[in-house]
Amino acid sequence: MNAAPGRLRPRERIELGDYPVDAAWSADGNNLAVAGGEGGVLLLSMASPQQPRVIGRHDGGVLALSWQPAGRLFASSGQDGIVLLWDARSLESTAIHRGKEWSEQLAFADNGRLLAVSIGRALQVFDQHGQATHRFADHAGAIAALAWRPKSAEIAAAGNGGVRIHRLSAQPQSRDYPWRGACLTASWNTDGRLLAAGMQDGSVHLWNVASDDESEMPGLGSKVFATGWSANGKFLAAAAGAALVIWDFSARGAERSRPTELQAHSERITALAFRPSGSWLASAARDRRLLLWRIGGANEPQDAHLLADDCTLLRFSRDGTRLAVGDARGGMTIYDCTP
Amino acid sequence: MTARIPVTVLTGYLGAGKTTLVNRILSENHGKRIAVIENEFGEVGVDHELVIGADEEIFETSNGCICCTVRGDLIRILGQLRKRRDRFDSVLIETTGLADPGPVAQTFFIDEELKEHYTLDAIVTLVDARHIEQELEHSQIALEQIAFADVILLNKIDLVDAAALERIERRVRGISATAAVIHSRNAEVPLERVLSLGAFDLERALALDNAFLEPARPFEWAGLYCLPPGRHALHTGAHGHGHDHDRDHEHHHEGSQPLAQVDLVLLPAQDTTAASIDALLERATALFEGEPTTAAPGSLLAAERRYRLQLAEHAQFQLEAGAAAGWVLFTEHAPVEFGLQLQGVSPLQQREFGSHHHDLAVGSIGLTDVRALDPNKVNDWLSYLLQSRGADILRMKGVLNLKGENRRYVFHGVHMVFDGQLERAWSADAPRRSRLVFIGRKLDRAELEAGFESCVA
Repeated sequence: MNAAPGRLRPRERIELGDYPVDAAWSADGNNLAVAGGEGGVLLLSMASPQQPRVIGRHDGGVLALSWQPAGRLFASSGQDGIVLLWDARSLESTAIHRGKEWSEQLAFADNGRLLAVSIGRALQVFDQHGQATHRFADHAGAIAALAWRPKSAEIAAAGNGGVRIHRLSAQPQSRDYPWRGACLTASWNTDGRLLAAGMQDGSVHLWNVASDDESEMPGLGSKVFATGWSANGKFLAAAAGAALVIWDFSARGAERSRPTELQAHSERITALAFRPSGSWLASAARDRRLLLWRIGGANEPQDAHLLADDCTLLRFSRDGTRLAVGDARGGMTIYDCTP
Repeated sequence: MTARIPVTVLTGYLGAGKTTLVNRILSENHGKRIAVIENEFGEVGVDHELVIGADEEIFETSNGCICCTVRGDLIRILGQLRKRRDRFDSVLIETTGLADPGPVAQTFFIDEELKEHYTLDAIVTLVDARHIEQELEHSQIALEQIAFADVILLNKIDLVDAAALERIERRVRGISATAAVIHSRNAEVPLERVLSLGAFDLERALALDNAFLEPARPFEWAGLYCLPPGRHALHTGAHGHGHDHDRDHEHHHEGSQPLAQVDLVLLPAQDTTAASIDALLERATALFEGEPTTAAPGSLLAAERRYRLQLAEHAQFQLEAGAAAGWVLFTEHAPVEFGLQLQGVSPLQQREFGSHHHDLAVGSIGLTDVRALDPNKVNDWLSYLLQSRGADILRMKGVLNLKGENRRYVFHGVHMVFDGQLERAWSADAPRRSRLVFIGRKLDRAELEAGFESCVA
């Protein structure tokens, strides 16, 4: 392949001593919070990345992290059934929820004022002081994915049997978008019209919330564990097994047009992330290859790196200049990204 | 790649003793780290570090195929557990008494991510010996839990008598001919017989008795007697003889309702060898297909006719024997089930046939052949079979002799999905015998035999 050198430049690999389950960048990109499979909540400062600080723990393992956009708060949840709200300045945390069920999904709203937390089959929303503001307990199944609709006070909760969209106004309203099958992911396009869900049965389901249309894009072969939209809103990507599939939405009726399959991974893809600007996409698989793609351009990777082990996560900083790459051996490598 | 973590699925009807077994596994000092995933109604303390509650969430597919349903909660929980560095030696999944084991087992064949890290080691089904016969009368779930099992723990055997236990075991084997059956009281069983069976010896499981490889017969037992011409008293209704009578028989055996009737046929034999029973099988089968003659207690029973004996406590009948080298009695149920005894004589030869409880729509069919099989034909046949009959085939296990391959191909599956691999080499001094077993509903032996025959290379 003709990889242009230097689009992704690795800094040194940081030994975490823990399996990176999740990670979240601070708004300014100077800090990275990392969730450890052994239970550690770690904070990496880009000023001294080789000294990760363990700032807390969740017994049994951390499940998820979310960092407030344009703020200093972040949340962590663990197998102990606890949700902690952290202040990155004081490094102090407050338990905002304790329960028996796991909270596997955490999502701060774009305005940073609300935090959505899945608690088994329920959705609980907190304000930035940790006070519960809304609760929606009547989901048919466990919530597998949460996604705030851009530029709105609406959140989509996806799970078995479809998606439910909750509007958090003075009079909260919920609307069901049922579909027979189990949704594993939920991704809004940038204008908040289209919601894509990756399904357990190897399809991608698409709802046009504005027009009330929906369509099914089947045939990906195995479960669709990741979906994402390019920042320019033109492309939808889905990963299923070793397949990386792209739909082009720059023309009308993309769901009925033939998608492009990018063929470079030989084994199951384990992480996928669009860069927050342009149409750059990073993917990593059990073949231990980290690839950078320019969607809409060549169907060949623009950069490629070999990883130390299976990739567990890919996280771009908000400005897109850094990419955090977690590996199953317990390491985190930060790449500078200047495409 | 790191070794996959073995997963044991524990099923069993309500009250069979699952919680007792799980508590023993958690409290015994066996030196293993076993994660327990408990159903939401479980009674094991979830404050235990290695116990995780699950809500049995079933993921269906948009096309509605039951063979593709998986357990979403297990995918999530096991996906998280594997990220701990101090991994588990094994995982035990307890299902609710009313759970269909299918989706649980299928999850480990269908979900790619889970498959990479876990392997289904065995389905262990606890059976309450005292109640199972009643449960089988009305519960399809109780029946399928037995059909799915690799290991059947026949529990609470101290609450039934020896005759009932034998009857229950025959019935259980009639459903699943391949499962290992272990007897227990209070769920006390060596854990190595339940957990991490590892190289679970599929071949041992498939070393089946011959009865199971033959067409189903309408009778379960045949006994060859040497009877002088004349009348012979046939007693019924007593407890089976030669069994353990030391046990307390005072308490009430709820599971052991006596049979109300039983069919039998008497035929003269050429001689008193075992082969003379075989020679009469077709004749006996034909007679069993005819209309029976009802026989009240005290009736005279002649040869060459199908009788339906009306059983009452210690009912007695008379056999009318002419001049013949031997006499073979074919009975619908095993003698122990209705206390059969011929006065003053014991059978010289006996043969048992597969249990054929008429209420059971579920059973096992075994196929075997020493000719090498064509891998492509096997693949075509199994694909066709699983697509057309996947919903009715609950389990499938096999060891195959493939043409041009020196090693055994070993596989097992649930409904439409299966997992197989080449294992150790065939030994040089014995025929390479393929064995294949289907356990399921309404299986057609002729159809399966024809399909298997078509795979011969």
